Amino acid sequence: MAFSEKTKKSMNTKPKEPFDFFHDERVRSIFYQLLFAAAVGWFAWYLISNTAQNLEARGMNTGFGFLNVSAGFDSYFKLIPNEPGVGTYGRIFIIGALNTLYVSALAVIASTLLGFFIGVLRLSNNWLVSKVALAYVEIFRNTPLLIQVIFWYIGVFSLLPRVKNSIDLSAGAEIFLLNNRGLYTPWPVPGDLLWMTGLAFIVAIIAVIIFKRWARNRQDRTGQTFPTFILSAALLVLLPGTVYLITGMPLGWDIPKLEGFNFAGGASLPPSFIALLVALSIYHAAHMAETVRAGVLSVSRGQYDAARALGLRGKKVMSLVIIPQAMPAIVPPMISNWMSAVKNSSLAIAIGYPDLVSLFMQTSLNQAGYAVELVGMTMAFYMFISLTISWLLNIYNKRVQLVER
Amino acid sequence: MAIIKTERTAAIAPPLSETTALGWMRKHLFSSVFNSLLTIVTLFIIYITVKELWVWGIADAVWVADNRRGCFDINVDGACWAGVIAWLDSIFYGRYPREELWRINLGLFLLVIWMVPLWLPRVKAKISIGLTTVFLYPFLAGYLFSGGDKSISMQIMVTAAIVCLAANTVHSIIGVLTGRSLPEFLIRLFGKKNAPEKSQRYLLLGILAVSLVAVYMFQMGWNVENVSWTRWGGLFLTLVISGIGIASALPGGILLALGRRSKMPVVRVISTSFIELFRSVPLITVLFMATTMFPLFLPEGFILNKLVQVIIAVCLFNACYLAEIVRGGLQTIPRGQFEAGHTIGLGYWQTISLIILPQALKHMIPNIVGNFIGLLKDTTLVSIIGLFDVLGMLRSISKDLPWLGLHKEPLVFGAMMFFLICFAMSKYSRHLEVKLSTGHKH
Repeated sequence: MAFSEKTKKSMNTKPKEPFDFFHDERVRSIFYQLLFAAAVGWFAWYLISNTAQNLEARGMNTGFGFLNVSAGFDSYFKLIPNEPGVGTYGRIFIIGALNTLYVSALAVIASTLLGFFIGVLRLSNNWLVSKVALAYVEIFRNTPLLIQVIFWYIGVFSLLPRVKNSIDLSAGAEIFLLNNRGLYTPWPVPGDLLWMTGLAFIVAIIAVIIFKRWARNRQDRTGQTFPTFILSAALLVLLPGTVYLITGMPLGWDIPKLEGFNFAGGASLPPSFIALLVALSIYHAAHMAETVRAGVLSVSRGQYDAARALGLRGKKVMSLVIIPQAMPAIVPPMISNWMSAVKNSSLAIAIGYPDLVSLFMQTSLNQAGYAVELVGMTMAFYMFISLTISWLLNIYNKRVQLVER
Repeated sequence: MAIIKTERTAAIAPPLSETTALGWMRKHLFSSVFNSLLTIVTLFIIYITVKELWVWGIADAVWVADNRRGCFDINVDGACWAGVIAWLDSIFYGRYPREELWRINLGLFLLVIWMVPLWLPRVKAKISIGLTTVFLYPFLAGYLFSGGDKSISMQIMVTAAIVCLAANTVHSIIGVLTGRSLPEFLIRLFGKKNAPEKSQRYLLLGILAVSLVAVYMFQMGWNVENVSWTRWGGLFLTLVISGIGIASALPGGILLALGRRSKMPVVRVISTSFIELFRSVPLITVLFMATTMFPLFLPEGFILNKLVQVIIAVCLFNACYLAEIVRGGLQTIPRGQFEAGHTIGLGYWQTISLIILPQALKHMIPNIVGNFIGLLKDTTLVSIIGLFDVLGMLRSISKDLPWLGLHKEPLVFGAMMFFLICFAMSKYSRHLEVKLSTGHKH
């Protein structure tokens, strides 16, 4: 077919539409965006100007200068020393933030371990065990966490015996003691040469990494496996252990002793801390168990059959085929579960554990005012934690996605 | 010689594990030595737990007593349910005037009437029924619960809600009986089946106008006594807060999710940061923000009561969670649906509301139910900032003089109550998930 020169040209170029200012898509998009931004900006300005007016009318102070002012109160549980009447509000913020992080870090670890355990029970081929695990999951997932927290605090840990009749958790050794003032445990007292044991531990870790790399290379070359797990475990225990013994066991334990009406020495955790920790761990373990179960079940049965057909044994099927494929399905919900554990630790306020919200947002707010600054700082703290975790999660997701086809 | 069997071989009996209880037990409980040990240990644990709970909660429990002393006099070790029973009304209704309780019950009954058609198979226009539940029922219920003088806008909304409820009910009855919709039925009733479409429409509009005016006249004379929000409480308040939370968070969540998926960067960034801000902080901090900062945000002299502050906070918070659910639902709709919508000449909002959302909503329902369960449980947090929701009421039992120090039993009762509600709903949402997903397996 023959085209005229003109037709050919018009076939290869885009049809030129006349530019219509009012019906152009880009112009409209910019217009709507400007309108939206203006509306949001106006609303923000309206709130801010109202706030400024209200603050002035009520004679309330503003600014972050109060962080350097000494607070008239103290927290009964703290990880850094503080003197009531001397420590500043800035220090109170740090105490509260550390308390939040402390209890939520322990809750994350405990709930993950317990959750994996329950999840494995849930997958058990023993009907009874699997149903008991199911009951655990359903009971704790379907009741409000706040009721659980209050129940553990008022119903269990406040009803413990007095100091004199402490419950001995270490079966007569009087090392771990539980009473209505909390849990008393020994506390390590590092000696002079302890750093050498630490150094040996780091050396052992590096050695294990190098050794694992060598073992993998060897397997790639010759196809033979090497018992890496036993060897690296032995390395990690024996090397620091030997150094510890040679340097003369430079680690003492401060054991709690009954003096007068209370225990002295050791470390103590208040009942509110233990109640919150137990409640958070149990509640989030239920969620974790479901995550683990869903993750393992997301690996199709064909994978299991294929692995068996290749001649792999039960344990290897799990460790080489099922778990590596289940992990990408487990990790993202697991991390968002951790995040909600950190957020839920704010329920401490109901039982008086001095976390960030109860110490900073409630007590400080009642004492000093500065509502905007205090609420803003508390929210910024939680946002910082959440954004950090979701940033790490994104990195993980990207790495996992590369493996996928 | 051909070896052909002339008679049928008898079928082999199914394995024992599939037929007899003993065989089943052998397969599922005692398949190996380890498994048998596990079963025995688990049975022992169950026995201990159930026995302890039975003795404490039922065998040794006291059901009738005047006060906590009375409980102790009968049995020291058992649960004192008498305290919970004495407070039962307060746990459900808070401090709502006892002679006005019928209003709460009526409100609940109307909600059931309104929503039952959603589960009746022959009723048409379920989306409209669902939308009117979300948008009109709250006004009727709101007036029923709070009472007092009605403003003009409130009168109009109450009128619309009553008309809608009546139309809904008649529509559902007709639907169940004949499978037709209400407009079809009315047109047939007036013998206009073959009339032009225009006159049919005029007829329907006329009926609507007449009923609106009639109901408006009726409701002008209908007044119930004002009950201040400070007397609202118990499970009733919990349901009000979470109900409004889910109903108003749905439109908010849809808008936020659309904003987050928008092609316009300004809209996208603002929506995303709003969603992430509220999703990354605990609800209790948002509630504190509401009670301490909302008074500062508003112009001087304009005061919101605490309940409204809390409801706004819960709505904002939950809208951000729902936005993520809606976004997940929108992602299940293939791009081709958008493009097809555009191709037949629909604009953005028409494509979204007529093509995309009706399909996406179906995928979202289980997650929305899950979100409602979460919200219902989270609503207990309002007791921390001093509202007397169900947990607030449960905890005030231990401060009531006759029942001083009665902590455990109310909490256990509350936990059981929440468990029943939440467990039933989560089972239902799982059932829905299975039912709705069958058509979409590729």
